[in-house]
Amino acid sequence: MTDPFTPDADWQRLPQRYVSARRLDAVVSNVVLTLVVVLIVGFTAGWSWALWAGLAGVAWTVWRVLRAGRWVRAFGYAERDEDLLITSGLWNKRLTAIPYGRMLSVNVESGPIDRAWGLAQVQLVTASMQSAGNIPGLAQADAAQLRDRLIAAGEAQALPL
Amino acid sequence: MTDDFVPRRAIEDDPVDAPDAATTGVPTPGVPATGVPGTAGKRTERPHPLTPFIRGWVVLLAAIIAFGREFVSFDPNRRLPPVPWIVLGVAGVALIAAVAGYITWRFTRFVIDSEELRIETGALFRRSTRVAFDKVQSIDVVQPLAARLFGLAELQIDVGSHERFKVRYLSLARAYALRDYLLARARGSQAELAETARSTSVLTDLNEADEVLIKVPPQTLLLAAVTSHEFWGIVLGGVALAVAGLATGQWWLLLAAAVPTISGLFGFVTRRVTGQFNYTLSRRAHGLRISRGLTSLTSQSLPARRIQAVQLSQSPVWRRLGLYRIDIEVIGWGAVTEDEDKSGVSSILLPAGTMEQVQVALAAIWPRVDFTTVPLEGAPKRARWLHPFSQPFLRWGHDDQLVVSRHGWLVRRWQLVPLARVQSVRIEQGPVSRRLRLADLAFDTAGGHIDVHASGLDAGPLSARQTELLQLVRHHVGPDVSDPVVPDAPTEPPADPQTEGPDALRADQADETISSTE
Repeated sequence: MTDPFTPDADWQRLPQRYVSARRLDAVVSNVVLTLVVVLIVGFTAGWSWALWAGLAGVAWTVWRVLRAGRWVRAFGYAERDEDLLITSGLWNKRLTAIPYGRMLSVNVESGPIDRAWGLAQVQLVTASMQSAGNIPGLAQADAAQLRDRLIAAGEAQALPL
Repeated sequence: MTDDFVPRRAIEDDPVDAPDAATTGVPTPGVPATGVPGTAGKRTERPHPLTPFIRGWVVLLAAIIAFGREFVSFDPNRRLPPVPWIVLGVAGVALIAAVAGYITWRFTRFVIDSEELRIETGALFRRSTRVAFDKVQSIDVVQPLAARLFGLAELQIDVGSHERFKVRYLSLARAYALRDYLLARARGSQAELAETARSTSVLTDLNEADEVLIKVPPQTLLLAAVTSHEFWGIVLGGVALAVAGLATGQWWLLLAAAVPTISGLFGFVTRRVTGQFNYTLSRRAHGLRISRGLTSLTSQSLPARRIQAVQLSQSPVWRRLGLYRIDIEVIGWGAVTEDEDKSGVSSILLPAGTMEQVQVALAAIWPRVDFTTVPLEGAPKRARWLHPFSQPFLRWGHDDQLVVSRHGWLVRRWQLVPLARVQSVRIEQGPVSRRLRLADLAFDTAGGHIDVHASGLDAGPLSARQTELLQLVRHHVGPDVSDPVVPDAPTEPPADPQTEGPDALRADQADETISSTE
């Protein structure tokens, strides 16, 4: 593949079961958001508008559920010798490269939905707020190992700010 | 009014009956020191006794301005309360402020001597903060108008956290003396506080020992203000409203457009000119300093090593005039202040200046790089579809130390970030870019108010370029971009993070030294 977003590297993909977790997450968050919007619109603008808002919410939810599989397959990370590559996105693609030496800390997080599938999210923190180094949907053991590897690499290659 | 609170005590001879001293185990004032040479005994110091009066005055002024606004934006439908009530209300507000100010002053103490820097505040919730000398990043001396009238100043100590410690108000000479002393201590030299206090006989913001690098005269500020895009934005808004009024035949819209437009323009120009009045960038042994202001005077020190990114910008008319403005991103300083008037720390490195002055300013903060020599490349022709107006201007490039990106259409921008400050490099591509085989490159820096990016690049070789950039980020050896080029002595020790101890290598702390700015 000659895609500039997946240069030659040892790409790691996310486990297939993260697709289910992501779908459930999309449904839950969208349903809550849609309900809130529907109620607000219903009470302020009228219930016929609220119906449209509800339909839009349902359509959006279906869209997210359908896209989840492709999104997860498109996501990848690669631990190179000196930096971590993260590629993601379907429409808005991005390839982030973070040198290990720039990492300040690494978090492992897992919410209730993630935990139901035994998944966790690894989050790299640098001094910059924008360099979003998030790797969602890893198996919990993998996530902990990845964190330890990243920290070890970061300590070995610390860079001054 | 506030006259009740004219000072009754001098600073040092405060009686020990104060409950704060008794209850907190704080060293009581007047207790003799245990062998601190050069000082008249270890003692806590209070801000100047005029402090509560000035703080009350500031609030009084604010109240008057607030009421004045009400009068100016006179609305016939609304009846204002009778004048005596207003006066009473203003006086009440000022009185409360003065009492609060008095209490704050009464319970504020600080120690700055050869051993420690400690600030104690709070009447109910006592708080004692001690700051390590070498953690002091920069110190600003700020004089709001009211304080300036009495020759007082506020000392703001930036230790790199979000909170800036403020000591207000001190006599100006004392504030400068403490500033010089703390900056010297931050550099690691054992200066004598008393000595610096004596040598600083300052009536103006500038000392004779300073090397003045850039001075921006008020007429340049005025010219820059009336030719800036913000100015013309306000004018255009007013014109649009007036045209709408003419088109609909509603003549009152003309007046409604003229009044806010003119007052907006006036406010904008005076803000720019008074806020940056007598702008001076100077260098002293302790580092770089910016002093500015007409009504309120600010003297801020500039920690060059903490500067993460630089942005030059140029309004359309400025192209003809050859003017540029420089904003900087300093870690820990928070938002890029657009408001020039804000006394205190500002992210403006140069409010308006020629290319020569731009180069002087940049050479002052980053003596080891020159952005004009960085080889740049343009965006491919097809980028016009995405950036129809700015495509001919789009450029980006880097050498082994600095990334330069040029973009913008009406307002042209140059963004500079040293590779040593880049946190991560990201390639981004949206659906339209993908069609055009284009992509953007984003450089994340700490702080993140200047969003350094290069747009409309050929997507093909970009990931190879990214790898190349990361190599440079990681394998940069040698002095930092902010290190001075020719140290006059071979014994140049300033903290080089490559060789310092582990503390210097902590990414969040490594920039702590401002020593390199000498």
